[in-house]
Amino acid sequence: MPPKNKSVTLVIGSGGIKCAAAIGLWKVLQENDIHVNSVVGCSGGSLYGALIANHADVKEMEERSYQLWTNDLMQGYITNLKASQDGSLKFNERSGLVDDSVLNKTLQGVFGDWTFDGLKTPLKIAATDMLTGDKVILSEGLVFDAVRASSAIPIIFPPWEVNGRLLIDGAASNPLPIDIAIQDGADIIIAMGFPLSYRSRFRSMTAVQEQLNNIYMNNILNATYAFYNLAHHAEIFTILPEFEGAISMFDVDKVPHVIERGEQATRELVPHIRRLLEQG
Amino acid sequence: MNIQDIQKNGVTVVQFSGSIDALTAPAITEHLGGLISSGQIRLVVDLGGVDFTSSAGLRLLLGAVKDARAGGGDLRLAAVQPDVMKVLKISGFTNILKLFENVDDAVASFG
Repeated sequence: MPPKNKSVTLVIGSGGIKCAAAIGLWKVLQENDIHVNSVVGCSGGSLYGALIANHADVKEMEERSYQLWTNDLMQGYITNLKASQDGSLKFNERSGLVDDSVLNKTLQGVFGDWTFDGLKTPLKIAATDMLTGDKVILSEGLVFDAVRASSAIPIIFPPWEVNGRLLIDGAASNPLPIDIAIQDGADIIIAMGFPLSYRSRFRSMTAVQEQLNNIYMNNILNATYAFYNLAHHAEIFTILPEFEGAISMFDVDKVPHVIERGEQATRELVPHIRRLLEQG
Repeated sequence: MNIQDIQKNGVTVVQFSGSIDALTAPAITEHLGGLISSGQIRLVVDLGGVDFTSSAGLRLLLGAVKDARAGGGDLRLAAVQPDVMKVLKISGFTNILKLFENVDDAVASFG
């Protein structure tokens, strides 16, 4: 068993259903007895971060994935998109194109009344202040509130109010929040990130908007990642799983593939992590 | 981690093999620092034998590049392996550093 005097923080970035790769990561860390001292999650990564912080079983996490990523989440999207374009749907800072009742019910079903204090491993979740653009760190109260806020994809899902602040997707400011782990003094940071993929064909304005959004997001990811790497005093191990083909938000049939790729990418890093834990 | 220097057309080619992490970075940093401080500022780092780098590797490369350029030279990378390339790309280092497919091209780029 490796010595546990170096603090290890696990960071799971935004990436929708691709964040299920964290299940494979968690499985490999457990198999190799790599102790995690704290967890940080963002957006889709906050879902899996919370499950890991509560020491969920990998099988349970996979089952939760099938419950989470269903088409029902997008309830009302098409109707509201059309209504927003013809002006019949009035939009403001609290609006979203999707009726979030399904999302809320689904997240409540998973996280119920879990609190940050009650988790087995400390957890922090990244969100973004809708009105100021500030990065926000959530680490107290109900886990549901934090995950809901961190997952509020702008325009799609309505923002979520926590402690008087209107919060949206953590990915809008910090898609791979390594800085939170640095701030807490982690020695070893294991960061799993998910750059967004690009499309080559565009058949609608929303497709173009999505492409632009992905370009912005990837550039935020790259810029923040570069800075965090240079700012950290010790070690960041980065895991960037690669998938076969595009994985869209509701490709639940691809969850096993996503998990397998997360597992595979982590296995490649384990010797390096262990070496540092044992010799560093 | 093995480190070996080769002189080619007035360029110092530094060959590494193994992994670059917090354990190996100090020796590499010291080695590159020694070369630069002795005036060997036209450098090619051959990463053909490096299968992995962590954040420690990125930090040391950036530090050495800055020092070499501040002295009027440069540090260029050759034969970067796929896993290392992924980390260089996501961190934007491919925009800052000059990369070449092989050592000969990197050496030739110094003119």
